[in-house]
Amino acid sequence: MRGYALAEAELVSFDRQFAARVRVQKPDRYRLLGALPADAPRIARGGGVSYVGASFGHGAISQDLGAFDRLLAFDADAGRLTVEAGLRIGDLQRFALARGWYLPVAPGHPGATVGGCIAADVHGKNPARDGTFRALVESIEIESPLRGRVVASAEENASLFETTFAGFGLTGTITRATLRLARPPEALAVRRVPVAGLDEAARVLREAANAPVLYGWHDGRPERFGRGVIHIGLASEARGRRRPKPGRDLPARIAPLPFAVWNRAGIALANGWLALREGRAGQSERSLSEALFPLNRARLYFAGYGPAGMAEAQWLVPHPRFEAFAAALRDHVARERPLIALIASKLFGGTAAGLGFDGRGVALAIQVPAPARPAQRAFLEALARIAIEHDGRPNLIKDSTLDASVARRAIAGFDAARTRLAVHNPGGLHTSELARRLGL
Amino acid sequence: MTAIVVGASSGLGRALAAELARRGRDLLLVASDARDLEALAADLHLRHGVGVRALALDLAREADPGARIAAALEGIAAPSALLLPIGHSRPDDELALDAAAIGQLLAINLHAPLAIVHALLPRLVETRGTVVLFGSVAAVRGRGRNVVYAAAKRGLDSLYESLRQRYRPAELRVQAYRLGFLATNLTHGLRLPLPAAEPAAVARIVVERLARGSSRRYLPRRFALVALLVRALPWPLYRRMRG
Repeated sequence: MRGYALAEAELVSFDRQFAARVRVQKPDRYRLLGALPADAPRIARGGGVSYVGASFGHGAISQDLGAFDRLLAFDADAGRLTVEAGLRIGDLQRFALARGWYLPVAPGHPGATVGGCIAADVHGKNPARDGTFRALVESIEIESPLRGRVVASAEENASLFETTFAGFGLTGTITRATLRLARPPEALAVRRVPVAGLDEAARVLREAANAPVLYGWHDGRPERFGRGVIHIGLASEARGRRRPKPGRDLPARIAPLPFAVWNRAGIALANGWLALREGRAGQSERSLSEALFPLNRARLYFAGYGPAGMAEAQWLVPHPRFEAFAAALRDHVARERPLIALIASKLFGGTAAGLGFDGRGVALAIQVPAPARPAQRAFLEALARIAIEHDGRPNLIKDSTLDASVARRAIAGFDAARTRLAVHNPGGLHTSELARRLGL
Repeated sequence: MTAIVVGASSGLGRALAAELARRGRDLLLVASDARDLEALAADLHLRHGVGVRALALDLAREADPGARIAAALEGIAAPSALLLPIGHSRPDDELALDAAAIGQLLAINLHAPLAIVHALLPRLVETRGTVVLFGSVAAVRGRGRNVVYAAAKRGLDSLYESLRQRYRPAELRVQAYRLGFLATNLTHGLRLPLPAAEPAAVARIVVERLARGSSRRYLPRRFALVALLVRALPWPLYRRMRG
């Protein structure tokens, strides 16, 4: 049947930890979104850049929303933009920045789509200041065979609206969204503050909580664990003095190098280079577009994980427990010497809700090569144990090594959130590898 | 000057509309799906600042599509280009269709282009504009598949020749493209003997050539060779190619 065209494709998660041969539909008209049989398991697929298998899975048809990438309405005075859910964040930012607006909460990969950002409730460059993506969304339109097309906002279909953020696409296919934009700084003056460890990093982060851009990079090697630099991006008036070279967006799929670069020697070299380049206190100007999409320069970094790929464990630990958590982690790393390519730190200041990644505390994103190796696997399990002991909360959309039992122990109200999801997804019609792994 | 794109909501039509808008052309977009059409019109206006008018029209059911399009041109700049990337095929078009199905295929693939060209010719001649027709490699040589579709597309070849015979290029440019495989929803999931071209790449070529003279060509160009080979195949051999 026309419009019901499906292609078989081998899809791989961005961290390369899950691959599946699945059927993909590429609807290019609205009526084709509803062309699948009403009982066919499905999941929406945006840019396909989720670290975990959130947009595909065994037995589910992936509905590729690439054709639904249009701008629908723009109020240039109020900064209100209505778009289709398949619009890539990089394209949205280019449109908005050219008109004196921007999206203050955006993921690092410009290929992520608006629908994906809602489904994952992503955070941006300083979640303590800007919150997560839900803070920018006024309303959404969402389709499902059982419910049809529904508009949801804080006032209308409020439960569906709430549950769709960090609902991982399981409440239906998000088709449209109306977003509130913000006025961007002209440019950023980025201060570099070297730190000797994660506890010092947390203090520096807390002191700079209102900066538009705020994050840290840290060495994960046992002998230098936690050393690094905090980047504090402050609004600057230096318009036009620093023009970025127009670069290419990071592609959705990055072919791995045939061998892993991030072994002990490679990690030592990279961290040494980072320390040399970034490790001294100082300040530099950076364009907003460079700051918004740092991953555009990270193609080789991701390719360097090789065929075995990587995993990113993100844990948000409340302020009162963070220093003890950092110390326990440092001791464990010193003892077991796992391979850690990079640690990033961020400050959060929101409220933990549902399955989302928010709360008041400091988050660490720990990227490790070859997570399937027993020693690496053991480290990730130990990390989860240590984080949970310190009231840590995991980022489910980032970490492909988590299972339902860890998620349940780590997230108070996990089962309640799962029940709320099931209300809006009866029969589990919308499903994915992520949903299967976490029992959602 | 306004460009008219009929079949604008998806595939090559959408790519043509985007390319024309990128180059600053005002547009009248025609397609059957109102919701898609409105979304596309809004997008092209917001991105490129061009004037875009949308007309939802079901070519399979509309008795006089030319008149509807002519009426929709009221109040906007005269049309200087009419592009007709219309195409509708069905997998069961294998010498077993009933009359209604045949009528629908002919209505979309042949009657609509004929009627729209007839209705808009005076305006296009007045602006010394361009008519762009889109045929198919399926019409190079009749087969047991795509029977009605190919016959309709062959009819467009005749329309191209009629227009060229009637108008000198200085009066009206007439351009026809016989399209090979394009990477659209129609070919998604199909095993194709040759790679499919991206509609955006094809649209760039078509729009770049709008101001040139009258001509007929294959796109992607490699399909000229394919057509030559198909035509050159001895009948006994061609007859055995049932796939």
